[in-house]
Amino acid sequence: MQKGWYPLALSHAIAAGTSAGTVLHGQEIVVWRDSSGGAHTWEDRCPHRGMKMSFGFVRGDHIACLYHGWEYDQGGQCRYIPAHPKLEVPKTICVKTYPAAEAAGMIWVWMPVGMPVEGGPAEQEATGVRSLYLDRALDEVEPHLSAGFGASEAAREDGVIRLVTDLGPLRIGLQPVSADRCALHITLAGTAEPGTLVAVAARAEAFRRRVESATLLAAE
Amino acid sequence: MTMPQLYNYDLDENCYRVRLVAACIGLPLDLHGVDAFPGREHQSAPMLALNPLGRLPILRDGDLVLTQPEAILLHLAERHDPQRRFVTDDPVRRARMMEWLIFAARDLSMAVAARTTSMLGEPGDTDALRAGARRCLRIMDDHMTRQSLAGSDFFVGPEATLADLALFPAFALSRDFNVDHDEFPALRLWARRLRSLPGFITMPGLPDYH
Repeated sequence: MQKGWYPLALSHAIAAGTSAGTVLHGQEIVVWRDSSGGAHTWEDRCPHRGMKMSFGFVRGDHIACLYHGWEYDQGGQCRYIPAHPKLEVPKTICVKTYPAAEAAGMIWVWMPVGMPVEGGPAEQEATGVRSLYLDRALDEVEPHLSAGFGASEAAREDGVIRLVTDLGPLRIGLQPVSADRCALHITLAGTAEPGTLVAVAARAEAFRRRVESATLLAAE
Repeated sequence: MTMPQLYNYDLDENCYRVRLVAACIGLPLDLHGVDAFPGREHQSAPMLALNPLGRLPILRDGDLVLTQPEAILLHLAERHDPQRRFVTDDPVRRARMMEWLIFAARDLSMAVAARTTSMLGEPGDTDALRAGARRCLRIMDDHMTRQSLAGSDFFVGPEATLADLALFPAFALSRDFNVDHDEFPALRLWARRLRSLPGFITMPGLPDYH
């Protein structure tokens, strides 16, 4: 995996006090937001019994596992075990945390694990439209993005593609999920009317129909 | 008026739909437990006399016996909620609501079957059912994405209707047949809103949080 910031979700899709699972290059990641709005990206695995943390729930500044309610603080350190309420939890019980950032209407993670962070994802005023999940590898999808969204210009940057379209300037975060899946986090630069946002969403659905259909893709 | 009686199995999602609507309109139900699994009591002679299809739920309300889940939901919401909170008389909204109620009845039956084959050992092609159920959840997520962008919080409009309550269990229970919620961000936000409705209840298998 190339080192860098990878977009995992649109900012508006993860409400304060909620969590969601996702996958980046086959690695399961939980994206969660504490009650004060801070975004976190961790390995999606409780060290106790291996349950997905994304099945759990957020309580204030902690995220708790669904199985046995073990609670972890924002640093990934286990702070509370309901079955042993008086126990001072050993420091060794913690979830692996990954560097997270929030910029340009998206939540990002720095990968691969262990590489020192360099800078942050580019900032930009943006309105989140939708995330589009595709049953295709990112490499297969990328060459069709410009035509699929009706772009007159396209420019690739770290983790995103910029498209100039009749509906406005799109900035799409590119998430390689696995060898046969990817996600596109679609934003419009600046602010936009609801009608424009719905039109972009409809174009995204049409794009998904095309790239997932072998016959439609072959015809291009 | 005596309390409507529901022939109920707690793990059956169609029974949960009925309990959910009753809870949201504040209607107590007289629950008659049926040992559907492993006892298959819903296919016993006395139960077949009530519903020859051998399925749950069955609602008995006075002389009226109903066996189709969406008909039961509509009946409860129209007859037993004086405020008619989850139905509408506007013909266009009602048409949209019926569209989703029938989607829940017909198309989401794949999700119900995917879950019963995965969990309760009912016969069926689990992979095909799971793929069909995932396609339905995508259609729902696409719809709620557009609704949210246009400023509507629920399937038919700004207020929750029977459509939302009927659609909720298939999404909420999809992990039971190995379809995670990762790919449905609009449905995650919608489910959270639904969970905050007054009277909302869960069922076994649905965590009581959010």
